[in-house]
Amino acid sequence: MAISRSTYGTRRLAIVLFALLLVALFLLPSQSQGLLQYLGGPLGQILSLPLAAFSSLDRGISETWDGYIALQGVREENRLLRREIELLQGQNNQLRNSVAATLRYETLLNFKQQSSSRTVAAQVIGRDATNWYRGVILNKGENDGVRAEMGVVTPAGVVGRIVKTNSASSVVLLVTDPNNAIAGLVQRTRDEGIVEGTSHGRARLKYIPLLSRVQPGDRVVTSGLTGAFPRGLAVGGLTQVEKSEGDLFQSAEIEPEVDLSKLDEVLVITAPYEDAEAAQKLLQEIHGDRKRP
Amino acid sequence: MKFLLYALLALAVVPFQTTLLHYVSILGVRPDLGLVAACLVGFLGGELDGLILGLILGCFQDMLSAGDLWINVVTKGGAGFLAGLAGRHMAHITPAVLTVGLVIISCLSSGVFLYAMNPAGIDEIWMGVRSTVLVQAAFDAALGAGLYLIFRRRWSDDRMVTDGAL
Repeated sequence: MAISRSTYGTRRLAIVLFALLLVALFLLPSQSQGLLQYLGGPLGQILSLPLAAFSSLDRGISETWDGYIALQGVREENRLLRREIELLQGQNNQLRNSVAATLRYETLLNFKQQSSSRTVAAQVIGRDATNWYRGVILNKGENDGVRAEMGVVTPAGVVGRIVKTNSASSVVLLVTDPNNAIAGLVQRTRDEGIVEGTSHGRARLKYIPLLSRVQPGDRVVTSGLTGAFPRGLAVGGLTQVEKSEGDLFQSAEIEPEVDLSKLDEVLVITAPYEDAEAAQKLLQEIHGDRKRP
Repeated sequence: MKFLLYALLALAVVPFQTTLLHYVSILGVRPDLGLVAACLVGFLGGELDGLILGLILGCFQDMLSAGDLWINVVTKGGAGFLAGLAGRHMAHITPAVLTVGLVIISCLSSGVFLYAMNPAGIDEIWMGVRSTVLVQAAFDAALGAGLYLIFRRRWSDDRMVTDGAL
């Protein structure tokens, strides 16, 4: 009887606490977010351990899968030499993976050296925990200098921006998510707009001036007006321009430059301009653009 | 002890969900393991257990998702609690009942996400329902019923042993 009363009391207490949490979340949203963010710090450290383990398991599975597919063809070609070929194919596969990884790292390193920004290389270790946001998880967090609102790129172009960090990992909201907005610029016409994701998994350049002569095929780059990205990083190409009668602006659909379904390594822009000289150069460039007819 | 067990379960489920579950996605939608786990524990263990596991899972999921920090805590905690309430008022839990329950709870949980996404109009709401809510509900229900079928025998065996001992 005592046990039953105690369970009832605990249940009632848990329900009251849950109700209080809901009230706090709705009445004091920013304070509650701050508190949850603070509490999430040590939890993130704990969560990073199984995350890293599962991530390495994921890589192991994909490598094994690739190897299996490759070996299927070889076995059909020559059954007698199967064991030798399997061995060779396995080695070959490992070498190919190493070469592909080296090439990727080389491209990333070249881009990092050429870039005027200060960056941190990170690896994609997972995808958003829900089906509702287009996001990826990186293996670098606050301990590596990664903070919220920093831009994320690959040598091909813009990937997205950091929206959440903890000590050992961070969450990137991809450029194709409807909640993302980046200041963009049409390279040919120099018209500025806002790049937003769409519910179809693409991006859209909004608020293009009505008189602008943008057309499909034009390339969109970052304008550098927001803090996360330096000027001139590729976002994508315009595929369709929409101009409705009565609207104040045009909008255009963008095919992102980066294949966001196959992200492996990325760079997080910790400082868009490494030194004051680069920032000064950018300011001059902007002023030069504005003076141009 | 139970709390620790739930924390360990959450530490395994959430990283598994974010790193490996994309292999079994259908139409780009993955089942929500956190929701399924909270509901199963709620159905079989009661609303308090469902609520606690849901809150822990939601907290971890929020840390690895681009959404606001409250959304998974509230939906998973609520799902576990609702499942517990439903389970307490049922004489027999069968896979069919569990499937219907999971579909309803999954749809309610996805409804909160859809609301939080601020859809622009009825077209976007309908698209969200069609492309994500319904697919995920079907996926969650199938997974939940499958897990229940797998573990049911074990649970009933345990119960029989306990009953026999008494």
